[in-house]
Amino acid sequence: MAKYILRRLISVIPTLIGVTLVIFLFQRLIPGDPAVAMLGEHATEENVARIREQFGLNRPAFLDRDALVEGDLPGFFDSQYVRYFSRLLRFDLGDSIHRRIPVAQTLKERFPATLELALLSMFIALLVGIPIGIASASRRNSWLDGTTMIGSLLGVSIPIFWLGIMEIMLFSVFLKWLPSGSRLSPGVSITPVTNLLLLDSLLTGNFAGFWDALKHIIMPAVALATIPTAIITRMTRSSMLDVLQEDYIRTASAKGLSERVVLYRHALKNAFLPVITIIGIQAGSLLAGAVLTETIFSWPGIGKWVYDSILGRDYPIVQGVTLLIAIIFLLVNLLVDISYALLDPRISYD
Amino acid sequence: MSTQLPEVEVLTDFAVREHRSLWLDAWRRLKASRTAMLGLVIVAVFLLSAVGAHFFWNYDPKMDLDYNAKLRAPNLVSTPEKPTIHIFGTDKLGRDIFTRVVHGGWNSLRVGLVAVGISLIIGCLLGLFAGFFESFDMNFKEKLVLMSGLGLALGLLPAWIARQWFQVLLFGGLGAASVLLEKKLAHFKLTRLLFALAGMLLGGVSGLLVAPLVGLVCAVVGLMIGILLAKPVNGKAFSSITMRIMDIILSFPSYLLAIAIVAFLGPGLEKGMIAIGVVGIPIYARLARSAVLSVSQKEYVLASQSVGEGHGRILFKHVLPNILSPIIVQATMGLASAILSAAALGFLGLGAIPPEPEWGAMLGDSYKFLSSGAWWAVLFPGLAIVFSVLGFNLLGDGLRDALDPKMRAK
Repeated sequence: MAKYILRRLISVIPTLIGVTLVIFLFQRLIPGDPAVAMLGEHATEENVARIREQFGLNRPAFLDRDALVEGDLPGFFDSQYVRYFSRLLRFDLGDSIHRRIPVAQTLKERFPATLELALLSMFIALLVGIPIGIASASRRNSWLDGTTMIGSLLGVSIPIFWLGIMEIMLFSVFLKWLPSGSRLSPGVSITPVTNLLLLDSLLTGNFAGFWDALKHIIMPAVALATIPTAIITRMTRSSMLDVLQEDYIRTASAKGLSERVVLYRHALKNAFLPVITIIGIQAGSLLAGAVLTETIFSWPGIGKWVYDSILGRDYPIVQGVTLLIAIIFLLVNLLVDISYALLDPRISYD
Repeated sequence: MSTQLPEVEVLTDFAVREHRSLWLDAWRRLKASRTAMLGLVIVAVFLLSAVGAHFFWNYDPKMDLDYNAKLRAPNLVSTPEKPTIHIFGTDKLGRDIFTRVVHGGWNSLRVGLVAVGISLIIGCLLGLFAGFFESFDMNFKEKLVLMSGLGLALGLLPAWIARQWFQVLLFGGLGAASVLLEKKLAHFKLTRLLFALAGMLLGGVSGLLVAPLVGLVCAVVGLMIGILLAKPVNGKAFSSITMRIMDIILSFPSYLLAIAIVAFLGPGLEKGMIAIGVVGIPIYARLARSAVLSVSQKEYVLASQSVGEGHGRILFKHVLPNILSPIIVQATMGLASAILSAAALGFLGLGAIPPEPEWGAMLGDSYKFLSSGAWWAVLFPGLAIVFSVLGFNLLGDGLRDALDPKMRAK
């Protein structure tokens, strides 16, 4: 087992290098001179030269063949990509162009907000999706099943940013029940422990703060949860339908076990594997979906930050956040693979 | 005078069913499904209105501007204060939202169609070849093409380092040689050493003509290429390399990658199409590969192989038609998600360049006016996205049931 985990870990490395390569190549997509693109068209020549020097843009992209002709072997490898990669190994994602602050530092400050939003959305998706999926599989072709199928199809068809806008329109503009942006009302403060506000307020016993944070997070979390909820519902339903046709389920019902026990003790355990895979895949799209949701709700996480950076053409930030999300996505899928092997003894490790 | 004619007996053999093709069968099943037909109708309405508007309804977004009529609520009848009818209301520049939603359909659907076209064609070809050569041994000609191609491609590196483009041909030749000499060297134990030496000499000697250090580096690179080229790679290696590259693309959440690509390329509909299309390639490659793998062990494929049909003929006449149905289903569903991604790009200001109408961009334009209560400016473009995406999803669901009756139960 340990060997299997180790081998899966090692197999991630080439993919990870490929990911850094793709993100590095983004820079090459910028039309024209990246240094001019960073500074704007009215930049002075000295400034452009300084930026080129600072970001190593005057170096070749991958290998310096001119250095080789001059007999300089280390110079041959001194390229933009090698510099980028060695900076990454030191957790240095470069500096923001406009604010001149290390990207990694701001990332650390803003990531908890996104994490909290994504975790709550996943929680909602599991809480709603799995029971409904089980219920509609056990009452196949009933009105509940039909509604579930149409509802889940609708769930994957609604753009989450539009749903967010509609929520704001209804609950903030017309009904004035919920605030339309940010994490907390002005004047409310929560002592930071983990920087996940809901958790922190509970840990410090600050229930007024918890209520305020909950009122702020509920709309973006519901908007972000629609697609995962729909997909988890569908997956649970079809996986349960598969399992319910097995002989051991018939045996279990035949020997007189209650429907509840058959569904939850016998069927669900076996139907859960495909659902776990889907949860892993959805984790990545939750983080990506945060770009849209956070933009609408002015949520101070990494998604809103990326949106602002795209508008401001602050490329290192876009690169840094994309890299972070890709790495998290890879790791979550690795965990899913490993948990798969742990849960299903039929999967061989060698 | 009457003669008794022998009664003509019409023979009906109930065991023989009237001949129906697979596609006709599928169409009958599709017609029987109410939700699938609903999807088909929705898709048809959107496609027809978008194409019709583009060709027969003149609209110039650059000239469309009326500050006197900005942010008007929908009105269905003409009144003295509001003489013009706007059934969906007007936006911040006084433009009729109904007109823009209909014309926006042309842009939104076009992005989806072109993007899916890109990922479908490239992805399916990659998946077809990967799956096919994983299950069939390559013949001599294919090996020769693959190995010389590989030699040429690998030779680019030393050629680029030394600025000697003839090196590409040298390594291409080395790749071809490994196929040509394969039989002769079958019992020779030191093939890899031989090719490593040959590669080192090819790279090193030509590199020395430029500078000593260039010669050294080219020799090392040539040595490695020689080792790689020594034994002709089989289809499995080809397939696993292709799939590894697909894995790298798949390790990004798909539309985040599309957003990032367009963020760097700069906004524009065409760039959005390309970005969404590239991001979708791995899905089709994986699907086509696994479908080919399951089909290529079927008796009819083995039979056509044993009567000596060529690989191209087997691939395109026997394998491809039998893997079409999962691909058609995926493409229909893919259209739905491509329209969603395109809308997301437009919403973030990375799609159509204003004032060009596009559903996502219209939402991005109008949602800032929400606090003034202008619900119509965001409701209708959003509904257009929801219904078109829902239409393709319903149709795709129905197609899956129709094309694969075994899956119908689910």
